[in-house]
Amino acid sequence: MNNPLPVQHYVPEQTIQSYLDALLQDAAMELALAEQAPQPVAGPEPIAPGPAIAAVPEPVKAQPLIEQPEPVAPAAAATPAWREAPFEALLFDVGGLTLAVPLISLGSIHSLDGPITPLFGQPDWFLGLLPTQAGNLKVLDTARWIMPERYAPELRDTLRFVISVQGHEWGMAVHGVSQSIHLDPAQVKWRSGQGKRPWLAGTVIDQMCALVDVEALAELITAGK
Amino acid sequence: MKDNTAQRADDPILQWVTFRLDNETYGINVMQVQEVLRHSEIAPVPGAPSYVLGIINLRGNVVTVIDTRQRFGLVSAPVTDQTRIVIIEADRQVIGILVDSVAEVVYLRQSEIETAPNVGTDESAKFIQGVSNKNDELLILVDLEKMMTEDEWAELQDI
Repeated sequence: MNNPLPVQHYVPEQTIQSYLDALLQDAAMELALAEQAPQPVAGPEPIAPGPAIAAVPEPVKAQPLIEQPEPVAPAAAATPAWREAPFEALLFDVGGLTLAVPLISLGSIHSLDGPITPLFGQPDWFLGLLPTQAGNLKVLDTARWIMPERYAPELRDTLRFVISVQGHEWGMAVHGVSQSIHLDPAQVKWRSGQGKRPWLAGTVIDQMCALVDVEALAELITAGK
Repeated sequence: MKDNTAQRADDPILQWVTFRLDNETYGINVMQVQEVLRHSEIAPVPGAPSYVLGIINLRGNVVTVIDTRQRFGLVSAPVTDQTRIVIIEADRQVIGILVDSVAEVVYLRQSEIETAPNVGTDESAKFIQGVSNKNDELLILVDLEKMMTEDEWAELQDI
């Protein structure tokens, strides 16, 4: 097997940085939103019927276009137990981006020595089936799923491992497996809602990495979203 | 012996003709395969659907040949010495499917066949009947009846 090139070869540093910035921005926006949330939402002020010819209307101040965040679901409702206490997480590399996954959510790590068998008519993020001792593992093209806008087809050539997800027949194809780290919930900037990346549990500032909610990811995959 | 017979009834052995397409191995039920032909001239049919390569003359009978690669969403490939036309019977019709090569007949117990992953929204995903690990490779079993919709089968009859 050839020595894979470092994936950074394909994904420039600034791309990774911009992606991380986007993730962190998401988390920051939600945090700001959560702080504003307790304020009661007042209804529109009644407009007094005025004369037909009203005073010259004040120029409307251009308001900054802020993309309305999606409704925030109550975080407590579906908070997995592992978020409540310190936990171990595995760091791995997907297209140059470091992701963290709670160890409790992971099954086993399979080296990609053999080929993945593609199946026709499947979504592009489904790489195919990987035969393992435990049966055929459906393999997710993690890079394409997580950062489709920055995906480069060359990334497929340097995949090295498939990490299976506990309780599912799915595995995430990754470019490298790093180390496990101990994380305190306070070290994580948790996302309060689902947002556009329901699989993103939060961001770990110390490691500058995204923490993946594997269960949410598995649900999305199963639903084919 | 009695137990053995019962086990066989519960878990029948099925035979599959395997063929290759784009470096993957596919299987079709041997009962649906009539014969395998070397590639011969396929006469295009004007106005035929895109998945129809054309027609061949099989001992005086006209047989429509399907572009299997196109049907499976694969890119087309040049014809080689290994290219074969597999004559099959499906939906009470005899058609030919063009494949890269024909490999062998494999025997699979029903229990060795896994259901296919159901993540595809693409129509073509529906004709994957199952998968099976055989000879250190994954065999993709194709349900020929579902390879075409009812309308398409009807369309084929009119060619």
